[in-house]
Amino acid sequence: MEGLAAVALAIALVGVGFWTLIVRRNLIWKLLGLNVGASGAILFLVALAHRPGARPPIVGLGPGPSADPLPHALVLTAIVIDFATLALALVYVIFLTEHRHTQDVERLERDEERGWPQP
Amino acid sequence: MAVILLSALTLALAVFALTQRRLLWGVIGVGAHSLALAGVYLFLAAPDVALTQAAVGFGLVTFIYLLALRRTGKLTVVAAETPPLLHQDGEHVAGLEWEILSRLGRQLHRDVEVLWVTRAEIPRLLRAGEADVGAGGYLPRTDDGVVLSRPLIPTRIVAVRCGPGPCGAVAGDRCQDCLPASSVTYEDHRELASALRSGEIGEAVADLLHVRQWVLSGEVQPSETKDGGEAAFRFAVAPGEEDVRQALDALLAELERSGELARLIARYIG
Amino acid sequence: MRVLTALSLLALAGLLALGVSGVFPRPELPSADEVAAEWGAENVVAAIILGVRLWDTLFEILVYAMTIVGVKLGLRLLRWERPLPPVAETPLLRRSADLLLGPVVVFALYVAVSGHLGPGGGFPAGAILGTALLLLALAKGVERLSAEIHEPALEWAEYGAIVAILALAGGLLLLGRRGSGYLVAANVLIALEVAIGAWVVLHRFASSRGEV
Repeated sequence: MEGLAAVALAIALVGVGFWTLIVRRNLIWKLLGLNVGASGAILFLVALAHRPGARPPIVGLGPGPSADPLPHALVLTAIVIDFATLALALVYVIFLTEHRHTQDVERLERDEERGWPQP
Repeated sequence: MAVILLSALTLALAVFALTQRRLLWGVIGVGAHSLALAGVYLFLAAPDVALTQAAVGFGLVTFIYLLALRRTGKLTVVAAETPPLLHQDGEHVAGLEWEILSRLGRQLHRDVEVLWVTRAEIPRLLRAGEADVGAGGYLPRTDDGVVLSRPLIPTRIVAVRCGPGPCGAVAGDRCQDCLPASSVTYEDHRELASALRSGEIGEAVADLLHVRQWVLSGEVQPSETKDGGEAAFRFAVAPGEEDVRQALDALLAELERSGELARLIARYIG
Repeated sequence: MRVLTALSLLALAGLLALGVSGVFPRPELPSADEVAAEWGAENVVAAIILGVRLWDTLFEILVYAMTIVGVKLGLRLLRWERPLPPVAETPLLRRSADLLLGPVVVFALYVAVSGHLGPGGGFPAGAILGTALLLLALAKGVERLSAEIHEPALEWAEYGAIVAILALAGGLLLLGRRGSGYLVAANVLIALEVAIGAWVVLHRFASSRGEV
């Protein structure tokens, strides 16, 4: 039951995140959507590791089945890498704002089609 | 049970964050969503992941968004690109309004940052506090909900007819008010002009400045023009930025008195 | 376009549902408790990160370090017209930062050192330490703090931590020695690396005119 609720939440988060990624035109909103979508993907892995009535994967917390520790280990590094790549993406957004004065994706695409204005 | 409640909270926070109009609220909402998600991990028997998610997702990610969004000391101008008034020239911004805005920035000791948006977005961004000044051939509408500066350049609203077909204007522009209900709107003046040229629409309503450009460049050959009344380009100021509006009005009055505005108009518009 | 979007979202949901339904078999793993006992850990996740799947962790640390270098280079390319006005500095913030800094650093150290026994480990400890450094920067002013901290030394410490992790892991793989001492050392080094990386990113963002 709990695992099912978590999987449903993960799917919903991925949906909401990707919806924002597709629909919004502002780059920072897109990054926020990507953030939420990534957290949904991470939650999906953690939810798969969960079993009914499981204890945390730490020795000595009593008998009974423990949650699968492998997805936890996988996800732990992914969260930190997410932060680093987000920082890199924000640097490029700042770069575009500084040089092209826009965060609107459609405007950037249009400018590219027409050729960048040259000084 | 706790997982279900926390899941509902997490999803509600994510939806709240991503449906906001103001970026700051979106960032704060995503931070709160991360914290609730850490709670979900805790109840899913994953304490390591919960600790990491709380420290990174709530701490570092929120901080880095806030640092990137920081606007201290910058005068943010949202504008629709309008060639002789305000436009991108290589890596720089140029135009008549840019001359005035850069003077305003020097007076207020703030760097001026121009962001290109569509005309329809300007009032929303100003009302949300995402920007301080709206520019780029701004013809005010009554329901924009923004503060206006003194008139900058007087102009007229003109309807040009080239052939049969419906009537079009730029979305959100003052000229949109002059249209019948069954008309078409476009994102900016370039799209309006190309629609008029391709025969997609038969008539366009725009300000005199744009119509003159179209006719002079031979882009549009009107068969009939109608006068739609007087109007004036102004700057729009975000509600609550009273000091910016006062400084802008004082600067415009000073430019008018010294004749500098007339010189600028002669130089940029002719 | 809208139909396509809806269809792709549906396809995604279908794939996820397929994953849950148990179509893909789960491989039989050695018992988690056995793995933990072999590496001298009580937290099985720590034994996996620093033991069984050490290569994954090593390369993820390298990805992290590369991204930090990317951020540094990217922000260096920008020209700033005027120096940044200081971040708002209030007595309340300064006093609360003074009070909180010590406990937060001690907690981060605890999380790093006890990572093989309970929840924690190098990654969350590094993130907590990075946040503590940012707290300090907000209270003291970014300029003053970065004048006190010798930036090149910090960068060398970061690269040193990476080299030390690599050396530790290489020695481990060659000699085949396992034990909780190794886990503690690796966790502390990872915490150092993550914290310095986070500090460099946040400091660069705070001191450059990062207005978006």
